[in-house]
Amino acid sequence: MKEYIRELFSGYVRIKVIGSYTELFINRCIEYKIPIWDIARLDHETIILSLYISDVRRIRPHLKRTRCKVRIHERKGFPFILKRVIYSRGFLTGAISCLLLLFILSNMVWSITVNGATPEVEHKLKQAAVELGVTRGKFIFQLPSNQELQRQITEKMEEITWVGVKRSGTTYHFEVVQKQLPEKQPALNPRHIVAKKKAIVTKMYVEEGQAQVEENTYVKPGQLLISGFIGKKEKSELVPAKGEVFGRTWYVSNVSIPLKSTFITNTGERKTSYAIGVSRFHIPIWGFGKPEFSEYETVEHETNLRFLKWELPFSFQSKKMLGTEEVTRTYSKSEALDAARSVARKDIEDKTSDEAEINKEKILHHEEENGKVNVKIHFEVIEEIGKNIPIIQGD
Amino acid sequence: MAKWKHNLKTWLTRRLELPADAVMDLPRITMVGQLHIYIENHQGVLKFSNEEVRLLLKQGQLLIKGKDFMLKTILPEEILLEGKIEHVSYLERPEN
Repeated sequence: MKEYIRELFSGYVRIKVIGSYTELFINRCIEYKIPIWDIARLDHETIILSLYISDVRRIRPHLKRTRCKVRIHERKGFPFILKRVIYSRGFLTGAISCLLLLFILSNMVWSITVNGATPEVEHKLKQAAVELGVTRGKFIFQLPSNQELQRQITEKMEEITWVGVKRSGTTYHFEVVQKQLPEKQPALNPRHIVAKKKAIVTKMYVEEGQAQVEENTYVKPGQLLISGFIGKKEKSELVPAKGEVFGRTWYVSNVSIPLKSTFITNTGERKTSYAIGVSRFHIPIWGFGKPEFSEYETVEHETNLRFLKWELPFSFQSKKMLGTEEVTRTYSKSEALDAARSVARKDIEDKTSDEAEINKEKILHHEEENGKVNVKIHFEVIEEIGKNIPIIQGD
Repeated sequence: MAKWKHNLKTWLTRRLELPADAVMDLPRITMVGQLHIYIENHQGVLKFSNEEVRLLLKQGQLLIKGKDFMLKTILPEEILLEGKIEHVSYLERPEN
């Protein structure tokens, strides 16, 4: 039984030995400890016997000595079966398609996990991801890069402050930091509210504390608006002053607008080409030739291809060529002034808080110089002017 | 001298009941019906065909006749022969 298993595993051959002294050949094989078995005679010059493949070389000198010739009759055992199987066309195509399938599947998105989000937000996030193309079965190299996904999802979803996108293998992980609902404000320390800039007070809401100024008074920076002391002098009590004070403030903004300017815009024409990158070479696979438009900018995106857990030295590259156009814009004088106004307005909005409101604007002065218009604009803004300062008590 | 040694060996096997094949280099032949014949202590194959096998022994030869012979196993000192065994006989070496 043991022998039989060995025969099968190491593989053996049935050979025909032809010659006048075949018995001598058998004896020599025994003498030199070459295992042979199942010997039968076919005719008076030919015997047939079994031999391990590893011994085929060793019988050569004995064949010569005994003037015998050898013909291989049959090959048996697993090594030969294996060889036959491996070199058969069906097996080969099967193996290749299996590898191919594995390769394709290793470059697909298989699962998406979300961490640190409430179920509701998780659902929304998954929907947002689907809109961006991150779904099961998508090719990873077709998707935007992680940073891009991160940026787009963060922009899209109001409920989250930050999302970290990480891809490990075929899984996308979204690490979410959700916006916190405003918590109850902690107990405040006693404080005053003072003016932070010169203004004319337009409106006051005092929640706590004592108003020190009236509407339509002119205040200087640092002037006390709402006092944290309440009550009469003897029984005065300290509270954190709370309230809103709106005042009229003034800004002057200098803007200079060129009358003639050139800039580059996209025409909307685009052409995409794909290539496989092997180390430093590119093999284009789709989208050959130059685009029909002469001026363009290119956006490139490269993803490494993977096989199971290994990173392959190949990458999938997509190159988008966006047609561009140079546009020259010329302003007439009034258009230039309008443009200057909107630029200045934007500037003021950036400088002041969100609640601020532009009340009045007036062009103070404008002049043309070297193809530019310099404009000086005065703005009257109504905004919150209060600032908290703590009351530090000396004992 | 050889004759004396042979006599001693024969005497020893008889007296001490030692197995004769071990002491005297005689072939031990085991047969299973007509199917198998298993020979130990042979000295080589002299003739092998479908109907006849002749083996060399220390003294003389062993002749096996039958049909469809096949040497299942062959090792330096043992042989397993398969087929239909009809006849087993010794060929004595003529005494010098």
